[in-house]
Amino acid sequence: MTPMSRRALLHTAAAGAATVTLPRFLAGCAHPSAPSAASLAPSADDHLRQAYGIDAAVVGRVMSALSARGADFADLYFQHSRTTSVSLEDGLISRATTQIDQGVGLRVVVGDQVGYAFTEDLSEAALLGAARTAASLAQGAPGAPPAAFALRDGPRGMYQLEVPWSQVGVDARLPLLTAIESRARAKDGSIERVSVQWSDGEERVTIADLHGNLFTDVRPMMRVWCTVTARRGSQTVTNGSNLAGRHGLGWMTVERVQQLVDEAVGRTLVLFEARRPPAGEMPVVLAAGASGILLHEAIGHGMEADFNRKGTSIYSTKIGQPIAPDFVTIVDSGLEPNERGALNVDDEGVEAQRTVLVRNGILETYLHDQISARHYGVASTGSGRRESFRHVVLPRMRCTYMENGPHQRDEIIASVRDGILAETFTNGQVQIGAGDFTFYIKNGWRIEGGKLTHPIQDVNIIGNGPAALRAVTMAANDTRLDTGGWTCGKDGQSVPVSQGLPTVLVSKLTVGGDHA
Amino acid sequence: MRESLLQSTQDVIEVARRAGASDVAAWGSHERSVSASWRDGRPETVQESVSRGLSLQLFVDGRYGTHTTNDLRPDALAGFVREAVLWTRALQPDPFRELPPRASMPDALPDLALEDDAVRTVPAEGRAAWLAAADAEARRDPQVLSATSECSEQERWTALSTSHGFSGAYGATGAWGTVAVTVRDADDRRPEAYELRGGRRLTDRGDGAALGRLALTRALARLGSVKGPTGVHTMVVEPRAAAALVSRLLAPANARALQQQASFYADRIGTPCFSEQLTVTDRPLLPGGLGSRPFDGEGLTARDLPIIEAGVVRHVYVDTYYGKKAKLAPTTGGGSNRAFALGPRDRTGWIADVGSGILVTDWLGGNHDATTGDFSLGLQGHRITAGQIGAPVGEMNVTGNLVALFRALRGVGNDPYGASATQAPTLVFEGVSFSGA
Repeated sequence: MTPMSRRALLHTAAAGAATVTLPRFLAGCAHPSAPSAASLAPSADDHLRQAYGIDAAVVGRVMSALSARGADFADLYFQHSRTTSVSLEDGLISRATTQIDQGVGLRVVVGDQVGYAFTEDLSEAALLGAARTAASLAQGAPGAPPAAFALRDGPRGMYQLEVPWSQVGVDARLPLLTAIESRARAKDGSIERVSVQWSDGEERVTIADLHGNLFTDVRPMMRVWCTVTARRGSQTVTNGSNLAGRHGLGWMTVERVQQLVDEAVGRTLVLFEARRPPAGEMPVVLAAGASGILLHEAIGHGMEADFNRKGTSIYSTKIGQPIAPDFVTIVDSGLEPNERGALNVDDEGVEAQRTVLVRNGILETYLHDQISARHYGVASTGSGRRESFRHVVLPRMRCTYMENGPHQRDEIIASVRDGILAETFTNGQVQIGAGDFTFYIKNGWRIEGGKLTHPIQDVNIIGNGPAALRAVTMAANDTRLDTGGWTCGKDGQSVPVSQGLPTVLVSKLTVGGDHA
Repeated sequence: MRESLLQSTQDVIEVARRAGASDVAAWGSHERSVSASWRDGRPETVQESVSRGLSLQLFVDGRYGTHTTNDLRPDALAGFVREAVLWTRALQPDPFRELPPRASMPDALPDLALEDDAVRTVPAEGRAAWLAAADAEARRDPQVLSATSECSEQERWTALSTSHGFSGAYGATGAWGTVAVTVRDADDRRPEAYELRGGRRLTDRGDGAALGRLALTRALARLGSVKGPTGVHTMVVEPRAAAALVSRLLAPANARALQQQASFYADRIGTPCFSEQLTVTDRPLLPGGLGSRPFDGEGLTARDLPIIEAGVVRHVYVDTYYGKKAKLAPTTGGGSNRAFALGPRDRTGWIADVGSGILVTDWLGGNHDATTGDFSLGLQGHRITAGQIGAPVGEMNVTGNLVALFRALRGVGNDPYGASATQAPTLVFEGVSFSGA
């Protein structure tokens, strides 16, 4: 059981060499012949039968049982996913994993109370049993279940693939793994080992609500990791890089293979020269891209409305107040095509949106699911997400980034007399209420006298969210989303997210380092 | 349940063999889980679920793959297995892949006291009474902003059958309680803390009121936390945080990491590596243990395994595959219960003994490099002054190398942590590098 701490954390799937666990992002329809999102069956009944082998009439009866004791909301979340993983180690592609996961989550919401059950057995008896369990929380009069269900045409444009993963042949991925390995090995004589982990798939979700709406989505995902171990004399170093997104096989072009290899090898070899910076408080320059981890930890989680609704976020009373310099605008958006955090609809069927959290330094809005939106009397921001049918909906981040600022990267680095530049990260964590957050720097540089002097490695950064945002003193015009994959954990649920940042200077953070 | 789950694993082995697999290990699982929570005086959630799944390790023409599904309808399962065999065939042959020898797997399973029938029959009213008591005690202070209490029970069956004749299954139950409390501090900060208690038996989670009080005490202790001092200090790590730290220390103690040259244990097996105070034994057969199991993740018979004895690395975790690759005799693929040789006094005794330093109660983020052992971790805790727990501190990092840190282990407590399979006691380290104000 996971401790129920009000913390949230973020990690790359294989942080450190010891934990090369393939991510559990699930994907894919089990049936290669199943219709793609573009050619969905015309009726709700056809859709449910084709995708899950269930009649709409059964779903109607289950919804009646689910709302039998009253409900403000009630929904059924159908999910069918398939993931495929392949790995290359010691020159051999000799391990593959496939996984099929399916089930239905049933939810009853009364005010801010939630009754929840799930079943992996899609028989009517099992669904009715789960519905009665979820309904046991409610104590009111029967609700009004829908007379019929209708498929709603939602947006489809965020990650439509030319070739779905379910139609990619067994062996089509293998040459890519071999190419990544051989290119990486060829880059330097000190490289002793290269391993490659590949994972892809699709998940189909269908959400049936109390109004008779049926929302559907098909969400692809792929990720490839390259891990490199190199040795010079008695010194052995390991590091790696990854590329991830809601992409198809065609996205892995020669250029992207080269990007992955260059990053993985470069981030490993630089460790031969890397040292710890001195310990203590100092200015920290965050490189464009992955440094968006700052936003995720320092403000993003604190803006998720469930924490604010419960009064447990440090941002609970700060809406409308200035919290950062006026050049700072922070966005959380589902509308970033093919990014890990992209969505067509959220897991409550709400169309994905772009939400401005901080506009010109002023805190503007929280991230809402339907429960918190109802609590605050506002519309959902389309932020209701869940790891799978096994989990309740929570307000979550999608793609979180800062827009461009007025400065230049070189100007920012030149302004720092004694500090560090942070480039790559493995993980971060935040205490939502106290505001303390951390992130772990794997690669970076020491800055002395406005110049990059030597590489640094393996230091944790710790700060306090509101204080860190006030200390953002410069932001450059080079914002971009990270191409590596991030997974966000909250209340024991993992969801894919993206993050981005322009080059930013935070004038003071506490850096883990050596005592000279 | 035991018989039907075993039967399903044996059946799927036959399906896989007919589809072309030469050897098969089939895992089956079935889990029932119930939980409920209260927040701020009233029920907030109820949850209940049944999960099941089948996982196959297929050996096909010298090739290997693992395949998992929870769609157990016979037709769907047969199609899944056929496709899994095709998938496995597409890979390259791997000479190191084979089932562990049948003789390395048990013939009869010991009773490890992992089940408590009382866990299976908790009425909803029983859960509600536990939660109401926890909730009331957790909010017994005007500075409390919010408190959430949750209790849960699980029962799980695990079965393994292999194509060379092994078949075994065992059940386990669990009952857990957690309470999280948020209190109001200056500057609109809202520090939070949690307590967790549970185990195999229903009585292991204790009563709700006691856990609520502990969580409230922990949260109130955070009030007025400031950034601690940069410098080199003695570090006392209390049991819950020590368990997490030891998990980092042992993470690369395995054949895979050694064979892949990604372990700071390379060339250290059999050598004195850490402080003589450190003795850790893997003990899978402890009755009622959270990590107890009659066989491991590939069916190897469970037995005690000394990992570190008085600072000397005796064994690492070795599974069949990486054992062959690294030319090491298989031990077991992964950790079960980690038991420690205990010291002379508890946390309070050690705080008095060291006189001054930093007490770590929780880690916040951070990571380590398994190849070099370099680590840097965020933390919160308290100053130790004049042998007493002093003011709360946070927003600090501790940075160093795991090997050097555990070489500087000065003392071990007599107070092992009960809510984790890693039963770490209080640990005391000398000369640790902190960064803060």
